[in-house]
Amino acid sequence: MRIRTAGVVALFALALAASGCGGDSDEPTANQSPKAAGGKLVIWADDKRTAALKPFAEKFGKENGVTVEVQAVSKDLQTNFVTASQQGSGPDVVVGAHDWIGNMVQNGAIDPVQLSAEQKSAFNETAIKAVTFNGQLYGVPYAQENLALIRNTELAPEAPKTIEDLVAQGKQLKAAKKTTETLCLQVGQNGDAYHIYPLYSSAGGYLFGTAANGDYDPKDLGVGKPASVEAFKKIGALGEKGEGVLKRSISDTNSIATFTGKKCAYLVSGPWAVADVKKANIAYDISAIPGFAGGKEAQPFVGVQAFYVAAKGKNKALAQEFVANYTTTPELAVALYNAEPRPPALTAALDQVKGSDPDLAKFQEAGRNGQVLPAIPAMAAIWDPFGKAEAAVIGGADPSSTITAAGKTISGQIK
Amino acid sequence: MTTLTGAARTGDAAGRPPVANRNVTGRRRNRWFAQVGWRHLVAVLGVLFSLFPIVFVLSAALNPLGTLSTTELVPTGGVSLGNFSGLFERTAFERWFLNSLLIAGVASFASVFLSALAAYAFSRMRFRGRRVGLLSLLLIQMFPQFLAIVAIYLIFGTITDLWPSIGFNTPWGLLLLYMGGALGVNTWLMKGFFDTLPRELDESATMDGASHAQVFFRIMLPLVAPILAVTGLLAFIGTINEFLMANVFLTSSDSKTLAVGMYGLLQGNERNNNFGIFAAGTLLTAIPTVLVFQLLQRYIVSGLTAGAVKG
Amino acid sequence: MSTPLSGPGSATQAPGRGPVGSRPPRSRAARDHAPITLTGLAGKVLLLGLTAGIAVWAAFPLIDGRNWAGLALLAATTAGLFYLYLTRRHIPAKYLVPGTLFLIAFQVFPVLYTASTAFTNFGDGHRGSKDEAVVAIQTSSVTQVPGSAEYALSIATKGDPATGSLVFLVTDPATGTVSAGDTGGLRQLDAADVTVAPGGKVTAADGYTVLNFGQASARSKEITDLVVPTAGGALRSSGLSRAYEGKAVRAYDAGCDCVRDTGTGQTWTADNEVGAFVAADGERLAQGWKVNVGLSNFTRVLTDENISGPFLGTLIWNFAFAIASTGGTFLLGMLIALVLHSPRMRGTNLYRVLLVLPYAMPSFAMLLAWRDMFNADFGLINNMFGLDVDWFGQPWTARMAVILVQLWLGYPYMFLVATGALQAIPRELTEATSVDGASPWQSLRAVTLPLLLVALSPLLISSFAYNFNNFNAIYLTTEGAPFPADNPTNGATDLLITYTYRLAFGGQGAEFGFAAAISLFIFAIVAVVSTVSFRRTRKQEEVYS
Repeated sequence: MRIRTAGVVALFALALAASGCGGDSDEPTANQSPKAAGGKLVIWADDKRTAALKPFAEKFGKENGVTVEVQAVSKDLQTNFVTASQQGSGPDVVVGAHDWIGNMVQNGAIDPVQLSAEQKSAFNETAIKAVTFNGQLYGVPYAQENLALIRNTELAPEAPKTIEDLVAQGKQLKAAKKTTETLCLQVGQNGDAYHIYPLYSSAGGYLFGTAANGDYDPKDLGVGKPASVEAFKKIGALGEKGEGVLKRSISDTNSIATFTGKKCAYLVSGPWAVADVKKANIAYDISAIPGFAGGKEAQPFVGVQAFYVAAKGKNKALAQEFVANYTTTPELAVALYNAEPRPPALTAALDQVKGSDPDLAKFQEAGRNGQVLPAIPAMAAIWDPFGKAEAAVIGGADPSSTITAAGKTISGQIK
Repeated sequence: MTTLTGAARTGDAAGRPPVANRNVTGRRRNRWFAQVGWRHLVAVLGVLFSLFPIVFVLSAALNPLGTLSTTELVPTGGVSLGNFSGLFERTAFERWFLNSLLIAGVASFASVFLSALAAYAFSRMRFRGRRVGLLSLLLIQMFPQFLAIVAIYLIFGTITDLWPSIGFNTPWGLLLLYMGGALGVNTWLMKGFFDTLPRELDESATMDGASHAQVFFRIMLPLVAPILAVTGLLAFIGTINEFLMANVFLTSSDSKTLAVGMYGLLQGNERNNNFGIFAAGTLLTAIPTVLVFQLLQRYIVSGLTAGAVKG
Repeated sequence: MSTPLSGPGSATQAPGRGPVGSRPPRSRAARDHAPITLTGLAGKVLLLGLTAGIAVWAAFPLIDGRNWAGLALLAATTAGLFYLYLTRRHIPAKYLVPGTLFLIAFQVFPVLYTASTAFTNFGDGHRGSKDEAVVAIQTSSVTQVPGSAEYALSIATKGDPATGSLVFLVTDPATGTVSAGDTGGLRQLDAADVTVAPGGKVTAADGYTVLNFGQASARSKEITDLVVPTAGGALRSSGLSRAYEGKAVRAYDAGCDCVRDTGTGQTWTADNEVGAFVAADGERLAQGWKVNVGLSNFTRVLTDENISGPFLGTLIWNFAFAIASTGGTFLLGMLIALVLHSPRMRGTNLYRVLLVLPYAMPSFAMLLAWRDMFNADFGLINNMFGLDVDWFGQPWTARMAVILVQLWLGYPYMFLVATGALQAIPRELTEATSVDGASPWQSLRAVTLPLLLVALSPLLISSFAYNFNNFNAIYLTTEGAPFPADNPTNGATDLLITYTYRLAFGGQGAEFGFAAAISLFIFAIVAVVSTVSFRRTRKQEEVYS
């Protein structure tokens, strides 16, 4: 009886399976057919850019008889792209900041893009420099951004010439109870290397020296050198135990809000802050971040957003076509600007939108002497220790020992 | 002295109640407090603790400026529902919502079932490797997930090539992945509950000629209904908030879940700009969970188990 | 279902009454009593049928791809499942296998795979194989030949658009001459035979079919791989509408196992120990490959000052955090569950919903909100209570803060579980004690608490283990802060896991191999602790026997 039951059950089950197969078995073929028919281009970007890109990617697809899919990776886009590429499940094109290039190249995740001299000359020089790595052009830039000083013109009608000016002005406003903070420059508990860099550079510090070919040289680390200690002494003097201008309690989450709440007259931020400032109906103006009196110019980092061709994409020819010959057109750049107001990297596109948006020119002017954010892989080792050292010094720690320790940690992590 | 309440009222009216009456009411109040009142007090304190950060999020959601930083619990710039409408206009929120419901619903149901099966075996049967198996279940979960991502790409890269309908960007693939975690903490939880059920119950059923499957489905499962409901809810919440794997898995915006979509709102420099919308989304995310909880509450209520034992 | 009751190890054997594994004598009579119910049988047929159906569905792509190993695995799994559910033996396995299959595929395999990377240098710059690195080096060295022309390109074929061998039709912008190129080189075409669009692109040519983008992109790989040799280098496509004359400056030479730069003559020799091409002066090419490094990741964990120095302090705090989070949430959750567990209590439904709310919110969102509430100058907590505490700026306040946040996040979970547990305790037991005249407190201690502990102690262990590695709790709040001014790698609230993460992913690119090695160490610690505490639960497990 035991065998019989088992047998009957098995037989029934198989019969059921067989009857199910009829419908099931043609499914895989159905799934494969679209693959064979035409090309498909998959683009990965972050959420914001995905929304902006979608209509144009679709237009490109329609014009050329291919399918284009824009997909958003919400977190860790770069690492996920590199990992997925390695395993062969990555996209054909990826959109991201230019400082990813170093890491993507060392992992063989992106291919160089060949632009003609004519195409190249249509771009802003800084933008082209940013996406050039080891002498090769690795991406097509479409927008650039840098920090600037945004001020509330009702409270501070004049743009400060120096940090000292700004502090004096800010303190006056504070004393008059018009504001509660002198300057909104985000620091946060663990520091923020990107936002403090203009002051650091003005006070004489640097991150990496430049090699003979103009690239950053990871062997020449500026953090921990005497100049960096001096720079941090100046920053520390503005900190919580000093002037109280720089504070760890001002962080990425509240810096813009404090400015829009009219609690401070000056904000150090980028183009992304403008939308909020406008929404809060604040009369504002944008100028370059001032440097220390008698110091160097304050150099903000210039970052560039770019399109890259994945080295292990399934449809590289099409990806090359899209990146090299479609994203280089001003129409796309203008459209991307309209979706997200950052200065376009294409000169023609910038000229087109400059008229209607005076802020763009101001941001660009503020970034004129900016420094291209280093794209070398070693840069990844800087952010965390540098930021923490900044936070510690602002909190009152001894600049000399703090920066020396940070320099040691960073050099220990650079291969 | 007619009734206590009457007495109390007269006492109040007189301004200074007669001593004897006051004692009676006071005692009654004391008794009420000793038996029920203090419970309310503790519960209210607990609720306050629970809600206080949520009020903060609520105020951000209602704040038209919608920025993260507010020092006050009440929005300063007036109240508006702009963030809620912005959420639906600017994002595929409805889509994320449905995806989350589908994935979390199916995943929690399936994982509770798989875990209950395993917990039954771990609790009621004795076999070689039982305790080692239990311990391994726990320890496997201890491996950091952010390291496993590489392997996940490897596995699902292959699966996507072979069977695209259960690969990347499909809810089914993600469900499969979640099923991998079905045996885990939940199994431990349920095993603990199976252990508390008197063994005489299933023994007597077995004597009456029930098979092991009948014991499981007809006797054990109804008895642990409260805990199935609790585990189901926990699994539901766990899945709906799961982010790390879903982010790797779901890239096309139509396939995203709430957690992934919402995280996208908070990215980098956008963190500040979108916080109002994000806060609105956070509040709406809680709705399905609360509904599921309401739905399951009747299994968690008193009496049900007692009845089952008697029957 | 139809299986008999007295199978080996089945429920009839009362545990604790005989050694595990000893089998009670089987009774023939009992087996014959086993009822074969219709629903049981139908369910079995349906499920097995579904399994077979899925197996057949899954088999086709495997056959198409000639993936015989995969097919064999699939067949073996299916056969195994059929055997297991048709036989009357292996009853525990019938209950364990469904979940275990998923567990093996999606948890055990990833864990083993990750653990195996601990013996390699797997990480950024060393992700792929040597061949992949060579390809990457060569591709990224392709540069345009100086002074060479840019061509307008059309993709064409002499045969079928989908299969015919590909030809590049290129137009020289200076002269307007059109040539056809394939692996054999360039041949000029007669101007009369071709139609050229204004941009220079060939739209039609006698004897050739010009592919449109859709057709061409379907053959993307062939196009990228097609290199037309020319005098100065080779003609390559840049997309589907332009071609350039480019040259790979660097090439791999198998003879010397090195990469040679044809421009400068410099060579980089493969170092198979570190997985990189290294020049004589020590300069490395960026693109490396994954190699086996033996135990060096492990020895690095033990010998690296940065890791071993603060290790003990971090470990102690890690234990404190896990114990405080688990214990705190448990006590608070249980307390409130007990409070609400009273038949006279009104409004419990509402209370429960409100209490569970913290758990219903996406935790990453709430962690960010909490982080803001602890802000020293602008935070709600300082403002509301009139405090001036730099919460995340001092070790002890920061630790208190993260534990408080954990308490808030975690106690609804314990509350729910304890509520479920209380409901599952048969009321007769508590009623019996109150009939015996015990006070509520006595009956709580004598009956309710022990039973709660039986039900929840496995959970407490697992909750401890979870909190021990609770990455988000720290990463999304303090990120490990505060840090000593002179050591930016190890903060006061760092758990081992966040510390590991910073070490392995904070530097120049992610080091997966190293991270896996540290994780194995942490894993060993958790395993020992859990095993020890798990042993103590053995007694509780058998309360009823």
